[in-house]
Amino acid sequence: MYAWKTTLKTLCAFAPLRLCVLILTLALTAFAQNDGSEQNVLGRAGTFAIQNARIVTVSGATIENGTVLIENGKIAAVGANVSVPAGAEKIDAKGLSVYPGMIDAATNLGLSEISLGVNASVDVAETGEMNPNAKAITAVNPHSAHVNITRVIGVTTVLSFPTGGTIAGQAAVVNLWGATQAEMAVVPVYGLVVNFPRIAAFGGFGQPPIEFSEAVKRRDARLEELRKYFRQAADYGRVKDAYEKDKTLPAPVTDLWLEALLPYIRGEKPVLFTAERERDIRGVVKFIEENKLKGVIIGGQEAWKAADALKKNNVPVVYTNIYNLPVRDDDPYDYLFEAPSKMAQAGLKFAISTGDDGPNVRELPVQAGLAAAYGLSKDEALKSVTLYPAQILGIADKLGSIEAGKTANLVVTDGDLLEPRTNVKYLFINGRLIPLTSRHTELYEQFKDRK
Amino acid sequence: MKRVVCFLLILVSGLLSPAFLLGQDKREVLIRNATVLTAAKGVLENTDILIQNGKIAKIGKNLKAAAGAEVIDATGKFVSPGIIDCHSHSMLDAINEGTFAVTSMTNMRDVLNPKDIAIYRALAGGVTTANLLHGSANAIGGLNTVVKFKWGKPVEDFPIPDAPPGIKFALGENPKRTHFPALPNQSPRYPRTRMGVMETIRDAFVRARDYKKSWDDYRAGKTRIPPRKDLELEPLVEILEGKRLVHSHGYRADELLNLLLIADEFGFRVATLQHGLEAYKIAPEIAKRGTGVSIFSDYWGYKLEAYDSIPYNAAILWKAGVVVSINSDSDERMRRLNLDAAKVEKYGGVPEEEALKMITLNAAKQLGIDKRTGSIEVGKDADLVVWNAHPFSVYARPELTMIEGEVYFDRSKDIERRAALEKERQELEKLDVNKSNNTTAPRLPSEKRQAERDDAEYH
Amino acid sequence: MKFGSLLCALAALLLFSVCRVDGQKRTDVYAIVNARIVTVAGPPIEKGTVVVRDGLIESVTADGAAAKIPADARVIDGAGLTVYPGFIDALTNLALPAPQPAPVPQRGQTAPPPTGPVSNSNYPTGLQPEVSAAEQLKGGDAQFETVRANGFTTALTVPRDGIFNGRSALIDLAGDAVSDFVVKTPVAEHFTFRTGPFGVYPSSLMGTFAAFRQMLLDAKRLAEWRKLYAANPKGLKRPDADRSLEALFPVVDGTLPVVFNANTEREIVRVLDLVKEFRLNAMIAGGQEAWKVAARLKEQNVAVLLSLNFPRRTAAASPDADPEDLETLRFRAETPKCAARLAQAGVRFAFQSGGLANPADFFANAAKTTENGLSTEAALRAMTLDTARLFGVDNVTGSIEAGKIANLTVVRGDIFAKERTITHVFVDGRLFEPKEKPKTPTAPNSNAPAVANVGGNYSITVEIPGQSVGGTLALTQQGALLTGTLTTDHTGSAPIRDGKVTSDGFSFAATVDFGGSQIELDVTGKVAGDRISGTIATPQGAIPFSGTKNP
Repeated sequence: MYAWKTTLKTLCAFAPLRLCVLILTLALTAFAQNDGSEQNVLGRAGTFAIQNARIVTVSGATIENGTVLIENGKIAAVGANVSVPAGAEKIDAKGLSVYPGMIDAATNLGLSEISLGVNASVDVAETGEMNPNAKAITAVNPHSAHVNITRVIGVTTVLSFPTGGTIAGQAAVVNLWGATQAEMAVVPVYGLVVNFPRIAAFGGFGQPPIEFSEAVKRRDARLEELRKYFRQAADYGRVKDAYEKDKTLPAPVTDLWLEALLPYIRGEKPVLFTAERERDIRGVVKFIEENKLKGVIIGGQEAWKAADALKKNNVPVVYTNIYNLPVRDDDPYDYLFEAPSKMAQAGLKFAISTGDDGPNVRELPVQAGLAAAYGLSKDEALKSVTLYPAQILGIADKLGSIEAGKTANLVVTDGDLLEPRTNVKYLFINGRLIPLTSRHTELYEQFKDRK
Repeated sequence: MKRVVCFLLILVSGLLSPAFLLGQDKREVLIRNATVLTAAKGVLENTDILIQNGKIAKIGKNLKAAAGAEVIDATGKFVSPGIIDCHSHSMLDAINEGTFAVTSMTNMRDVLNPKDIAIYRALAGGVTTANLLHGSANAIGGLNTVVKFKWGKPVEDFPIPDAPPGIKFALGENPKRTHFPALPNQSPRYPRTRMGVMETIRDAFVRARDYKKSWDDYRAGKTRIPPRKDLELEPLVEILEGKRLVHSHGYRADELLNLLLIADEFGFRVATLQHGLEAYKIAPEIAKRGTGVSIFSDYWGYKLEAYDSIPYNAAILWKAGVVVSINSDSDERMRRLNLDAAKVEKYGGVPEEEALKMITLNAAKQLGIDKRTGSIEVGKDADLVVWNAHPFSVYARPELTMIEGEVYFDRSKDIERRAALEKERQELEKLDVNKSNNTTAPRLPSEKRQAERDDAEYH
Repeated sequence: MKFGSLLCALAALLLFSVCRVDGQKRTDVYAIVNARIVTVAGPPIEKGTVVVRDGLIESVTADGAAAKIPADARVIDGAGLTVYPGFIDALTNLALPAPQPAPVPQRGQTAPPPTGPVSNSNYPTGLQPEVSAAEQLKGGDAQFETVRANGFTTALTVPRDGIFNGRSALIDLAGDAVSDFVVKTPVAEHFTFRTGPFGVYPSSLMGTFAAFRQMLLDAKRLAEWRKLYAANPKGLKRPDADRSLEALFPVVDGTLPVVFNANTEREIVRVLDLVKEFRLNAMIAGGQEAWKVAARLKEQNVAVLLSLNFPRRTAAASPDADPEDLETLRFRAETPKCAARLAQAGVRFAFQSGGLANPADFFANAAKTTENGLSTEAALRAMTLDTARLFGVDNVTGSIEAGKIANLTVVRGDIFAKERTITHVFVDGRLFEPKEKPKTPTAPNSNAPAVANVGGNYSITVEIPGQSVGGTLALTQQGALLTGTLTTDHTGSAPIRDGKVTSDGFSFAATVDFGGSQIELDVTGKVAGDRISGTIATPQGAIPFSGTKNP
């Protein structure tokens, strides 16, 4: 809000008094429903009772008229009859709906401010092929403009992942709130990102396309390198474990790269594989079986075709293809719109994600809604951006639905959360009432009345 | 085989018979009982639309159609005007002539590809009309073509014959080749700065003015040798004479305004500022000149000059009295312009019908085709979309898209046809010519399809 | 005489597989008797005599109609043989040199100015319509041996390069001196919808259209200016002496046809639009989808030099590969039906080989057009009289009529049959007898022939004019498939594509990085022992290379 105040001051300095009053009135009208606006952008903690609201819990039945009580950053109570403690700030949500904050399980938000032409603002891909120790949480910029711009639409949590090489690094699950990375972190080091080797014609920017047999060879070689790397890490882990038990053995030299892989080869944390086509997805599943990994697919254009293999190994899919064109001319026009509905029919666990690098993560609700226009039920569409990503990311105990005891990441809207015309009226992250301002509202305020 | 030919002959002669042709002339379609979003005169509930000869003949309740008319029951459905995309590079076999800073000699009409699958996919998103533009590699680019997406028809049926001609200009990062550094064996192309972009444009118009004078002199008998007919300068003369619409790509407020000032200097009006991501900063200056703005509703931030873009752009411009349209510049985005328009309601409170106009009537106005299309009014072309829900709902999808009364997309038929296509494929694959003789490598698989846009990866 | 015969036989043994009998003599007189004669001009003569003298057809008679066999004629017993007019290939690059190597820009150097060898042109290489096949033709009879042995006597030959390819010539396929074998020049101006070299206008398809238009307009204006100047030069600036524009005068006034290379429906439609715009006298070359716009071709009276190089699937199957587009599958199925559909619509057309690797496939594929509904008469005309008519030489060749050029192809069996043998070929009255039976026509789908052995690692030298550039070529051969890497000191390393091994050599394509720009290379070559040699075709011209196999 600091910037907003400055703006007002600036405007008032140059505008006649009457205009100033007008601007102030307008501003106050615009933000009347966000008393968070009186605070800085980090919002305001407190005890809040959202009353007379339609509560879409997602995990259970929708409560048509009830109260959500927020205390100490958590959802303290939900129900038709909730006793509101004295001193709680009451928010009359008559005609409004409360939803859990949405979760985008595959973004690069905070790692890339301006992707084209401003390299200095981009931290998404480390150099080299194997970077298991690179951690997104050490580069996500809490002060990126994308943070506010994304959350004011109701997306409160994202997975942010690095993209380079074969092993890109480790992704972070963060709330879109916090002055520091630690404040943002939900799971600071969540999973390992592996760009699963595939046959690619693309030979690098400005390079000629690769010939088929060469592309196959390269894929096989990269896959072999990946296997080797995992074996190496397993060896490293064995040596370390042995030393822990028997200190008379030679002390192993710490290798940060291999060290980073240990929780993954031990199946403690999930490995996120980017893969789109059926054969690649089946390749991922084979790799998961070979190495006894916990796996997640990111991308998943044709995941529904490999549903059998994915289900057998409990591999969920974060689907990032709603805004992509079908690859082949002969694909039905709705091929990629329809995929989520096919995944649902096949009984696959999936989430819908923008896969965006930051500016357009706010498209998440519309992307989920589009899947519902093409076969997915509205209920499933909502879950695919709330409860399902929470389950896939292993944070369903804290996020993804409105249940007592969960973190109070909540969105209060004047309509269906997935509809593009719906307005967010209140936003809570970690139980804090967050002002609905962003770089965009600030610029709007600066220029909307320029004559 | 012979029998089939005979049958075809009979069929063809039947089609050519006067009776059939007469039928064609009086071809009637009746859409019944729809919620009609006219994009001009509000929303009409339980309303019928009668189409004759490709035009909207009547709008009202309980309309009667001639016997044999095609009747479409739209009970519970919504009908909107066909969507008009004011900035597209679909169905083009080439987009940029990047060698010169001025390429007004090129014409997109020459490189149309009526088989581009993007056309069909756009129809399936409710788009019926598009402004096909040259890329943005040049301060002054090539000539545009405004088409209707008559998928399956010969290419000459696509361009709208009475659409005023136009041309692409471009400002900022792209024409100064920010993302295309000169190769080691090339000297960099002028211009490399926004200063140079403006001078390139000014110089072109000075040359055009001299060129026009040389023809005036020749026609007045002052000179004997006919001047060279210069394809680069002819369109610029047309701009000076107010006969050609300028559609200029640009982002930053200062460069947009500087173009308007050059236009003032040479006495023409810029028809549209394309993208205009910072147009909201100079809304009054734009409004004063009657220039339209064609924008993304909320796409932003992909490069430095797109960093000050805000989704309130449309609202601010609209309130200032600017004719605003929302475009895609992308084969992908084109399929969901209805949702882009819906967002305009949220960001700044543009009323529903005004938001709908931004993907229909306003684009038609900007392209000078609003007399024939862009809204549902009697006498206009029957370019219509039947939706299963309100087109501003995320759950909406086009069920039927028609142009001039003819259906070009029908979701139920599309789904029906899929099995037949698969069967056809199997039959064709059995043919000798379609079996491999193993002389070349297998085809590489692909997993991403790049939407056609300016300069491949940005606008 | 005996000595001469001996020499001839020796020469034939040493150099040719076709024996040229007394080619230089003015007393060449032949009578083919008892043969079936397909005159094309009229109905076939089931049993008749053709007399050839001094390069011309002296007489054509049916037996019983008192066939006179001149006493001085060498008599060829035509029993079991069919005499056809010599077959014409309506578009080739025969007798033209490989594209001239041009200097390739080096990293850090300024690109050479894009002007061609012609000094008085204001237009860059690629936009020089004055280029003329007739001026580039190389002599030497040997170059015609293979096509002639397959039954061709005549061909249109067209320069390969450029957007304006230049002017074509019709040649008879025999003779050492260029003056011997040119039948007509120029026949047409040729145009291909290509772009200029990297970074040079026009670099896009619409730029190519604009360049074409501007040049035609400039030519029109220059012609007008010249007229004014010729009438009264006083006070007038002298008109340009631009060869490129001059070459377009006959195109602008319609006296010289323009042949546009165009295969797909939309390419052809674009040509038809241009033809309308400039009222051109035009033809289409290629025309694989011409049937889709047959009505317009007919209406605008545009003929088609139809390619018989029918598309077929070459890409190997692989579980890792994508399926093919339905459009592609349909395209391959439809192409052999094109000719019949054009005939039905009344569109004029002639057959061309379209770059077929094996000339015999020309006839095999012509036979396919008849299997797909074209009458054999029409198919025959499309490689004889109709072709001659399109090129304005039907008064001198294209059919078996007295007084016409003695271009004859004599076949045992029907020309459209799978089993056929070319026994005699007369070109300008000179007899060539293919010594051996030419290879059985290879249908494109027949099993791959025996292939050369070319795999290995080679050190090569690429001869860029003025300097030699070192490099390596690593080739891995699997049957007829070739993969590997091409590396040169200037381009770095690039994988090879579309690698093929044939019975006597290999070919592949590669895209290399050259000073930051991508350059497409087409490489052909041969391996003999441990020597490798060949040509690298680049957008700037062809460059020879040679080298040795590394042990």
